[in-house]
Amino acid sequence: MRILGRFYDGKVAAVRDVDLHYLAEYETGTLLISDAVEGSVIARWAADDLYAVPSRRNELRLAANGEAEGARVVVQGGQSIARIKATLPVLANRQRREAGRQLRIAVTATLALGAVIAAYLYGVPLLASRIVGLVPTAWEQRLGATLADQMQSSIGGFVLCDPDPDSLASRALTRFGQAALAGSNTPFSLDINVVRSDIPNAFALPGGQVFFLSALLDQAQSPDEFAGVLAHEVGHVAHRHGMEQLISSAGTGALIGFILGDMTGLSLAAGLGSAIIDARFSRDAERQADIFAAQLAQRLDFDPSGLADLLMRVGSDDDLSRALALLSSHPLTNDRKSALALMGQQRPTGLEPPFSPAEWRAIKAMCGGRAGQRSTPNDIGQSGAK
Amino acid sequence: MAMQQGPGRPVPVVFTGTRRELAGLLLRGYVLLLPTIGLYRFWLLTWKRRFYWSNTEIDGDGLEYTGNALQLLVGFLMALAVFLPLYALFFYLSTQSRDAAILGYGGIGIVLWFLAGYAIYRARDFRLSRTLWRGIRFDQTGNSWAYALRRFGWSLLTVATLGLAYPFMAASLWRYRYVHCWYGDLRFDFTGSWKQLAAPFYLTYLLMAVIGAIAVGSGIAMGALPVDGQVEPRGLVPMAIGALLIGMLALRYQARELSAMYSSVRLGGAVVTVKVAGRSLIWQYMLCALALLAAFAVLATGGFAVLSVVAHQAFEGGGFDAEIFVQQMQSSLVTLIAIIFGYLLVLGAFNLVTELFVGLGYWRLIARGATIAGGDTLGGVRARAEDKALAGEGLADALNVGAY
Repeated sequence: MRILGRFYDGKVAAVRDVDLHYLAEYETGTLLISDAVEGSVIARWAADDLYAVPSRRNELRLAANGEAEGARVVVQGGQSIARIKATLPVLANRQRREAGRQLRIAVTATLALGAVIAAYLYGVPLLASRIVGLVPTAWEQRLGATLADQMQSSIGGFVLCDPDPDSLASRALTRFGQAALAGSNTPFSLDINVVRSDIPNAFALPGGQVFFLSALLDQAQSPDEFAGVLAHEVGHVAHRHGMEQLISSAGTGALIGFILGDMTGLSLAAGLGSAIIDARFSRDAERQADIFAAQLAQRLDFDPSGLADLLMRVGSDDDLSRALALLSSHPLTNDRKSALALMGQQRPTGLEPPFSPAEWRAIKAMCGGRAGQRSTPNDIGQSGAK
Repeated sequence: MAMQQGPGRPVPVVFTGTRRELAGLLLRGYVLLLPTIGLYRFWLLTWKRRFYWSNTEIDGDGLEYTGNALQLLVGFLMALAVFLPLYALFFYLSTQSRDAAILGYGGIGIVLWFLAGYAIYRARDFRLSRTLWRGIRFDQTGNSWAYALRRFGWSLLTVATLGLAYPFMAASLWRYRYVHCWYGDLRFDFTGSWKQLAAPFYLTYLLMAVIGAIAVGSGIAMGALPVDGQVEPRGLVPMAIGALLIGMLALRYQARELSAMYSSVRLGGAVVTVKVAGRSLIWQYMLCALALLAAFAVLATGGFAVLSVVAHQAFEGGGFDAEIFVQQMQSSLVTLIAIIFGYLLVLGAFNLVTELFVGLGYWRLIARGATIAGGDTLGGVRARAEDKALAGEGLADALNVGAY
């Protein structure tokens, strides 16, 4: 049976119908390519030089080392292909070797990328805090101001509950902030703002600004709870978490972009991926801020687990949107609550309270809330995790 | 024998690949994307191109794609070098005041739009210089930056004239692409001009404007865009119909443009004729939409079933409690994995369906609609010297431009 094929010499765009023959010589052989009509031999390709290039179904494309770049013998039909493959086991060997080479490249590249990701997951929290140290404080403060602007326009204007810096409540807050930051070598001066808002939340921005929204203050039933949350936010300032998170989420965005091959990083995929990875870092930051609050509770007389009580109360609120607003930035688990309770257990006695009863009443009244209504010692005993 | 044909005999272009074959290839590739953390996309793209190229048969001989995955990988890494500084700039701008950020984003957007032209041309060069037919390589000369500049300038003019300059832009870019295109030592020529596009384009433009005005007008009259924020759903119906009609008109015009422009391509004595019917193109998109609906319906059912197993607390009491669900998401690794996996499935289904219907659809319509007259005059074309071109498509790969 003849094996027919089409032959391109790779030099001229001509195609010739050819007959293929195989000449066995000792251990190897030669592919004899001859004109199908005239019978004259057009080319001899040594079996050792032959290899198959990828093609469609039912088509075999043969090329040979040492020939022109585009020189090919093309054979169609399952039977002919099967016969050639049976005659030339070298083709299958070459194909296997090439597949192995591709596999090695893919595996090496994957391992390298895996190493980058692993280094990223474990290295970035460390790296981000180092990089944060290099960020000029003026820049971070400007950034904080910008972010505050953006938040104002998304939540609705921030109106300070008590614009007078010399009022009893304002002075108490300033004093609390100074006491909290004492000993931490932060470059920022703390700026605690209690502002009117329906959303029960509190947050710290880069540059030392802390915002405590009135709805959360209204829900606070004791100075412990208020001081706990406030100390937690001051902890974010002391650790420069805001800046740290910005840097790490930028890094995550770049990495996800790399994995998905979309360096513009605008796609939904990149966003979701970053959110999931960043949640991990944000939880580390929350833990650090909790520890900061617990350490402050060693110097001032408040129970740090009040922090968890307040957040849980807000979390169990009926209003779903409120709950989500808080839960997303402050993931709350029972582990966290018990960790805080544990840290709050062995506190020295005879400490000064964070706020005097008069100051606490003034703070509760800042935003027009029901001053002191629930802040009797009895209530504190009932609500807390003491 | 191929050489002994009558002069001027029109040669058909045949596409021999099947949708099922492509689906198998893509599915296998998607599965392999998982263990390789996405890196397999370079191999998948190479497979895909081999499928399209080798199944496109001109006068009995299939095209051959000679590129490989490593070239694409290297190109991507090189493009990263361009993008990382841009990305850092992006980050820095995002921390600036709002006006500065908007200005900066706008600036970067313009730079990217310019770079996209460069990337498109480079990608075309990469593909053409790795395409063989009858053992002879195609090539693309010309300057990628010149093309990018040309495209950029024209697109500015098009925006400035509310799209009226488009036929001039399209003809100019088609011309630049094809007069710098080579088959072996024979240069392509392009005889098309804006005159062929003007009539269908301006007619489509006018129709779109009228339909758009009617749709928006009646939509507003029925209360789709009320001042007090209360949207009347019925008002959206004429708008949706209008959008659908405009989409169909756009496809119909696209079919016209593709037919006219491809039919203006000349190669020596060979004359290409391409006929793509607008309704065939619309039909491909409708098939794609139906397939997407079906795929997402299946995925949604499956996803709901899986979530109700892994996060069953959220479904207790008959309803769906989003709060518990979110808490679950943050605490349960299984739920998180299920969600990531589901997300990948949705993404994969979308890519698979669009490739199977739109990607393959376009290629097949153009290939099957094409005939080449005087193809037998190409027998004397000689191979050109090796192109020392470029590793990979670089930018194009990072920018996600260039289908196929």
